[in-house]
Amino acid sequence: MLMGFTVWPLLRLSSRRRGAARVQRAVSASMRVFVWLMKSLGLLTWEVRGLEKLQPRGQFVVANHPTLIDVVFLISLLPEVDCIVKQALWRNVFLRWPVSWAGYISNESGEGLVAACAAALRDGRSLVVFPEGTRTRPGQLMSLQRGAAQIALAAGCDFRPVTITCDPITLYKGNAWYRVPDRRPHWILAVGDPVRVGDFATNGEPAPLAARHLTQALARWFESSVSRQQGEMRRETRPDG
Amino acid sequence: MNSTKEIFEQLRSVLHELFEIDPARVTLEAHLYNDLEIDSIDTIDLILRLKELTGRKIQPDQFRHVRTVGDAVNAIEALLHHKPAAA
Repeated sequence: MLMGFTVWPLLRLSSRRRGAARVQRAVSASMRVFVWLMKSLGLLTWEVRGLEKLQPRGQFVVANHPTLIDVVFLISLLPEVDCIVKQALWRNVFLRWPVSWAGYISNESGEGLVAACAAALRDGRSLVVFPEGTRTRPGQLMSLQRGAAQIALAAGCDFRPVTITCDPITLYKGNAWYRVPDRRPHWILAVGDPVRVGDFATNGEPAPLAARHLTQALARWFESSVSRQQGEMRRETRPDG
Repeated sequence: MNSTKEIFEQLRSVLHELFEIDPARVTLEAHLYNDLEIDSIDTIDLILRLKELTGRKIQPDQFRHVRTVGDAVNAIEALLHHKPAAA
């Protein structure tokens, strides 16, 4: 809150685009402080695999979305990244200025949103999207919206997938944040190799069909990587079972 | 493509061609978004295709209230029976 009135306005003093990049770096830094604080308080632990793959700019980062704080981890790893923010936050007194100064994209309209995201990527900026659109309900199959595929097709870029798992699962959809699990939760964020658009969308295919096929391919990719990673975490924590 | 039935059949084949929707699922009562998973971006492509097929200009407004396949058939019918806009 204090930052809302002090840090953010200062960071913005310069050209709009450079100002936005600086605000994004500050958001990223504050997320890093947050996750380190959570760790030092003994509330959670995490590990990141393949962090170096996130270094190049202009990447379309897509991740599955098991918990409330996935975006906090992701932004803490990406110093400059655009993301989509709920339109409602533009009406929030404390957040409206930071989100607009960071140049974050509002989810106001479907068509405008895809175009704005594709434009950010073509500009060489990185973008992070959760293709599920909301957190996964534990025990249910992941269901992907087609927006991420539509953005990738419009921008002509590949996906950089990040597989997020948490064990024991906490902060999931429908779980109150104060219901703390019996063990300290551990997150794994594994940065994968690119999922290439060209491998799944054939040339000349109508755009809506291409978006469907690409979405199915991405869903299969995440289903197998998430179940592999979850299996590995369970084996580590419960070697007997 | 004139009678209601013909329009319906044509729409069925367009939905299959553009979105791979099984024609058996396309009924007059089927909801475009809830039942057939046609999202707002798909709608734009659908309207473009209908423009080509009917040769008529379509204002997005004319499809704003379309929710079901039946609504879409009615909207196309109204479009066809309406005199083409003066070029």
